[in-house]
Amino acid sequence: MIFKKMAEIIAEHIGGDAAEITENTTFEELGVDSLDTVEMVMKLEEELDVELELEGKFDTVGDLAKFIESKLA
Amino acid sequence: MIKTPVCDLVGIEYPIFQGGMAWISDGTLAAAVSNGGGLGIISAMNADAEYLRGEINKARELTGGKKPFGVNIMLASPFADEVAQVAADEKVPVITTGAGNPSKYIEMWLKSGAKVMPLVASVAMAKLLSRTGVSAIIAEGGESGGHVGELTTMVLIPQVCDVTDLPVIAAGGIADGRGVAAAFMLGAQGVQLGTRFLAAEECSVHRNYKDKILKATDISTTTTGKRLGHPVRSLKTPFIRAYAKAEYDSSISNEELEAMGAGSLRLAAVEGDAEKGTFLAGQIAGMVNKEQSAAEMIKEIFTEAEVILRGANQWVK
Repeated sequence: MIFKKMAEIIAEHIGGDAAEITENTTFEELGVDSLDTVEMVMKLEEELDVELELEGKFDTVGDLAKFIESKLA
Repeated sequence: MIKTPVCDLVGIEYPIFQGGMAWISDGTLAAAVSNGGGLGIISAMNADAEYLRGEINKARELTGGKKPFGVNIMLASPFADEVAQVAADEKVPVITTGAGNPSKYIEMWLKSGAKVMPLVASVAMAKLLSRTGVSAIIAEGGESGGHVGELTTMVLIPQVCDVTDLPVIAAGGIADGRGVAAAFMLGAQGVQLGTRFLAAEECSVHRNYKDKILKATDISTTTTGKRLGHPVRSLKTPFIRAYAKAEYDSSISNEELEAMGAGSLRLAAVEGDAEKGTFLAGQIAGMVNKEQSAAEMIKEIFTEAEVILRGANQWVK
């Protein structure tokens, strides 16, 4: 599941605990900016071996995970 | 003579772009830079389609329709959609972007025949945008004026060059031939300058703004706006000092802080308001000491760069 993978990557990126990240956690709460987000998506791409087109802004981790899932579908 | 693939890509004599500075980079300045052999860029800033169309027409008129020029689309602008469309409709030769991810417009721009060159401030953004069909990447370090990222040009350029096969244009902290030569050594094939062109005779920014740039020293700029998530580099004026203090004052809300800065760039560029204006400038302002025509500037910069690049060989034993 993309969300779980995303949470792991975020946790590693910010040095936090993946278990504390929910679908409703906002990037703002995590102190993560748009550049961090792009970097994490690129990391996810590498791990899943896909190319994702990133458009628009995402407020929560769940939103981004859902967007990526829709792109993979 | 200095020639790089960027010259052929855009159809210019010298691999130099003039940065799209809001309220400053109009059709007149862009035309002067393009006529001087570089690439002039009109800033679409926060203005609407009508404004941009007017400036494009002005640039075409002043270059006799014979020189390429660019338009910078500020993606955070409320008019981003309509000015993005104008740039395509008008078949602007080069489109650069700032303040965000331009992915959703790229297809439309490529169809219009434009060369698209997004500005990035991180390696991941460079990687992401390199595969979208763009022609070059403008990598800007935080030495620059206006909205800035954390990384310096020295650190950013080689790392961006490592992840893309596209030509990289270095921006931030470059004002003379030494900066150009250094950028090339880091792997860039072109440069983009903003602050130096503020002192161009053809730049119509308010006299007070120009004078402040000409008088600036190495420590004249600072960044504010971190609290709101949009750090901006500008000259340290009484207003900016007060703003910086307010950022640390928790009794002042984010909304109040936002209101404090609203409209201050226009006040600086158009009214020359030394009290309430925000005078955006790069760290390199301390090296901008004389007014010249844009053409003279470009010539001087590249004559100097050529001497330095040839001289670099002296250290290789």
